[in-house]
Amino acid sequence: MKVQGEQTLPLPRRAAWDLLLDIDVLARAMPGCESLVPAGADEYDMKMNLAIASMQGLFAGKLRIEDKNPPASYRLVIDGNGRLGFVRGVGQLTLSETPSGTTVHYAGEVQIGGLIASVGERLLDMTAKMMIRRFFAALEREAAGSSPAAAR
Amino acid sequence: MIAQSFEYSAPDSIAEALRLLASHQGSRVLAGGQSLIPMMKLRLSGPAHLIDLARIAELNYIGETNGSIRIGATSTHNQLATSDTLRQSCPLLAEAAARIGDVQVRNLGTIGGSVSHNDPAADYPAALQALRAQVRLVSQRGERTLPIDKFLLDAFTTALEPGEILAEVIVPADAPGLGSAYLKHQQPASGFAVAGVAAQLGMKGGKITTARLGITGVASNSYRGAAVEAALEGRPAQDSSLAEAAGLAAKGVEALSDVYAAADYRAHIAGVMTRRALQAALARAK
Repeated sequence: MKVQGEQTLPLPRRAAWDLLLDIDVLARAMPGCESLVPAGADEYDMKMNLAIASMQGLFAGKLRIEDKNPPASYRLVIDGNGRLGFVRGVGQLTLSETPSGTTVHYAGEVQIGGLIASVGERLLDMTAKMMIRRFFAALEREAAGSSPAAAR
Repeated sequence: MIAQSFEYSAPDSIAEALRLLASHQGSRVLAGGQSLIPMMKLRLSGPAHLIDLARIAELNYIGETNGSIRIGATSTHNQLATSDTLRQSCPLLAEAAARIGDVQVRNLGTIGGSVSHNDPAADYPAALQALRAQVRLVSQRGERTLPIDKFLLDAFTTALEPGEILAEVIVPADAPGLGSAYLKHQQPASGFAVAGVAAQLGMKGGKITTARLGITGVASNSYRGAAVEAALEGRPAQDSSLAEAAGLAAKGVEALSDVYAAADYRAHIAGVMTRRALQAALARAK
């Protein structure tokens, strides 16, 4: 399943870049993320507790940041497994300066499989879109919190 | 499969249900069980404690007072579909209830359960958005009433807070002369709406005076067809106005995509179903 879109953060590009690579921020912003622990260069062990509809399940896996090109782009790779199935995602994030801040363009591919996909095919597209919306809504809140520092 | 083991309580009052909900970690409210139980049997959901609302008599009623129809949360789809009160004063909601799932689902599934679950392809949300419905929520902290569009937040996401139960759905009784219709194009196996449209129209002197529209199944959440409504009000009550306005049904909306219906197709079908629902509503308006 392909996902793409863009979201504007009210921050200069450098500050937006720092925010998007701040692992504590990512851990707070990713829906259901319970922990993100360093496991090598730009690689992290991730635990997620996802709840969608009346389903709920733990996922454990890796998050990797690749092809860093500050402050313009990087690739985010997520790979997780759990009792409900598996989730794999690759997304290219591109940051560009705009009058109102920084526009983050994302384009990628998400694969969801296993039990969750076999009974909930209908739910996958809406779930992926909702998680991306929640992620960016949380990032916006983080950006609002960090903007005094950015203006300094 | 057999569900994971869980505790089960069947309280007979709202107060007792709220007390149980507040005092048990990992508890979930069970209404008709038409979404939750299958998920538990597939072991995709494993609540530690179920609080069944089925025996709470004070949650099962449909009554009209002062121009409002109040529907208790455990009223089944079949009770709504066959309610004389609704058929007379708010036929749109009865019609939407009659189109849900199959006979077994309608006999067990409830309006409170369906609305709290907020499946983005469920039928009620279209009618409730069009009707500008309200929901009354209760908890041990008290109660609050929210307009439906402030309650249905996103796919499977509502404004319900921990410890809170949806107790009642409130819809206005139709003003005299309004015509309404709920039509959907459905997934043939599941009956879920690919595009479901609830429309309500009023006219006077050959012009459309009231236009209300709710759309489900098309996007991650149901929505009011505000662009269609604005394009209709004040226009001549004729087919060409309806067809033109219906083209705005999915404007600015990010349509969903699945194996059955791609996003473009869904957006197109939203327009088709909107035109047909408007035509049917107009034919019933006086």
